[in-house]
Amino acid sequence: MIRFMVWSALLAIMLLSPFIGAVSLELSEILNVDSLTHTIFFDLRVPRVLFAFFAGLTLALSGLLFQTLFRNALMTPYTLGISSGAVLGAGIAIKLGLGTLFFGIAAISLFGFLGAMLTVFLLIYLSQFLRSSQHESLLLLGIALSLFYTSALMIIFYFGDAMQNDMLIRFTMGSLSVIGWSYPLILALIALILLLSIYFYRFELQLLSVSDSQAKLKGIDTKRVTLFLLMVSSLGIGTLVSISGPIGFVGLIVPHIVAKLYPVSVTHRIVKTALFGGFFLVVCDTLTRGLQTQSELPIGIVTALIGGPFFIYLIISKASK
Amino acid sequence: MIELQNLQCEFDKRVILQDISLTIENHLSILGANGSGKSTLAKAISSLTTFSGEIRIDSQNIERLSLNEKAKLISYIPAKLEIYDSFISVEEFVLLGRFPYKLNFMDYSEKDKKIASQTLEFLKISHLRSNVVSSLSSGEQQLCLIAQALAQQSKIIIFDEPTANLDPHNSKIIAEHIKGLKEYHQVILITHDLHLASFIDSPILFIKEKSAHYYEENFFEDAILEQLYGVSFNSLAVQYD
Repeated sequence: MIRFMVWSALLAIMLLSPFIGAVSLELSEILNVDSLTHTIFFDLRVPRVLFAFFAGLTLALSGLLFQTLFRNALMTPYTLGISSGAVLGAGIAIKLGLGTLFFGIAAISLFGFLGAMLTVFLLIYLSQFLRSSQHESLLLLGIALSLFYTSALMIIFYFGDAMQNDMLIRFTMGSLSVIGWSYPLILALIALILLLSIYFYRFELQLLSVSDSQAKLKGIDTKRVTLFLLMVSSLGIGTLVSISGPIGFVGLIVPHIVAKLYPVSVTHRIVKTALFGGFFLVVCDTLTRGLQTQSELPIGIVTALIGGPFFIYLIISKASK
Repeated sequence: MIELQNLQCEFDKRVILQDISLTIENHLSILGANGSGKSTLAKAISSLTTFSGEIRIDSQNIERLSLNEKAKLISYIPAKLEIYDSFISVEEFVLLGRFPYKLNFMDYSEKDKKIASQTLEFLKISHLRSNVVSSLSSGEQQLCLIAQALAQQSKIIIFDEPTANLDPHNSKIIAEHIKGLKEYHQVILITHDLHLASFIDSPILFIKEKSAHYYEENFFEDAILEQLYGVSFNSLAVQYD
């Protein structure tokens, strides 16, 4: 019953979401092709809801994937420093004043993407010096990288002028605001590839969640499978963060919420986690637009404000059992 | 038949096993002090650790076999179940043993499910089928590990300290199952439990100071045990049979 209510509420908000925002829309005008309402609805609101949905899906699935592969509840692309890498990349682009486009992609996005991917390669390279069981050390490496990136970003802030710093601050707060359909469609494609990859490897993932050695003993080339899934997921996260900036907490908490609702093996939680992540971010984004403030509240702040207390509740309720 | 030729294993640049050449015709129990390299030997045979020298199973060099072929040949049962997925059910856990036979990207077949269910019946744990593995007792978890290995239908089964975490009652249950398996599988047992080794009644390989000593019989005499372990023995007390 709780499950049904949760899903219905999420779906309802998702469907209502495009109608909510700073400008209230006349229902009768939406289908009028020449009206401003039509443009706002179909070129801003609907793409934004879809972008939020696929962003949440990518974040939640990556969280589930990292937590399962590394058998650690704290592992996400974020705790490993991948998003900090993207932010630093974007920061460098802003500082260098690169406003130009490379092949139609904004310099900030391109540098953000490169920052994320370089971090992934760095982590993969460094992890070769660890034994396969030392996942805590990998987490520590990620945290160290994050702190290093943050300090590097502080230097950029320190030497930046007011306008550059304002751009950078807005990027670090995260935003799901997109114009038109190109970003939602790119992200949808990547999210779909991620979902299919994880789904095809669901039994490999189930075995890897037992242990690396057991997976190997059952005939899995653990290195190859792990690397493939990490690359697909990092590609998704890199793309997302380069467009939207970092959006914390979704990858960390959504897999835990779904596991709480459905205490079943990871193979049965993949699609549910993906959908829940998508809905969850749409709900958060609807909140940012629904609160009638001067300007929209950055999405990263909302996910952290909802996610933080909820996560503490989860940990406490788990510990008290 | 497992043949080891000039096997050498290192761990953190420390030589654990040195120049071991040995033919294991059939069942074998491997004993030795802590850190003597018993588990390392088992891990080398199951390719979980790197080694120099050569290991052949039925005249095939195991380094030339694919991971999948190896999985159909050898299963390895660890001392303790470590599991992150805390919601996996017994049935799903046993099905993992069928992974080497599963088609890529597909679900487990009806045949796989039937074999898993027969294995549960064989070990008399069918009633645990829908239970969550992480909620079971150590003894039940050990039975699940055995069920998974049986579903894997490998020729060789390696037990790494199967009774290390069990009380005498559960040890006896596991011991009887291991003994029963000798009829259909080549059983390699690694243990500290002298009672268990004596009950299983396979030839003994004792590892001491990086090399292996083979005992076809008479291993359990007080004088021999005293010489090997450096403590005095007054005949083994517990009897499983």
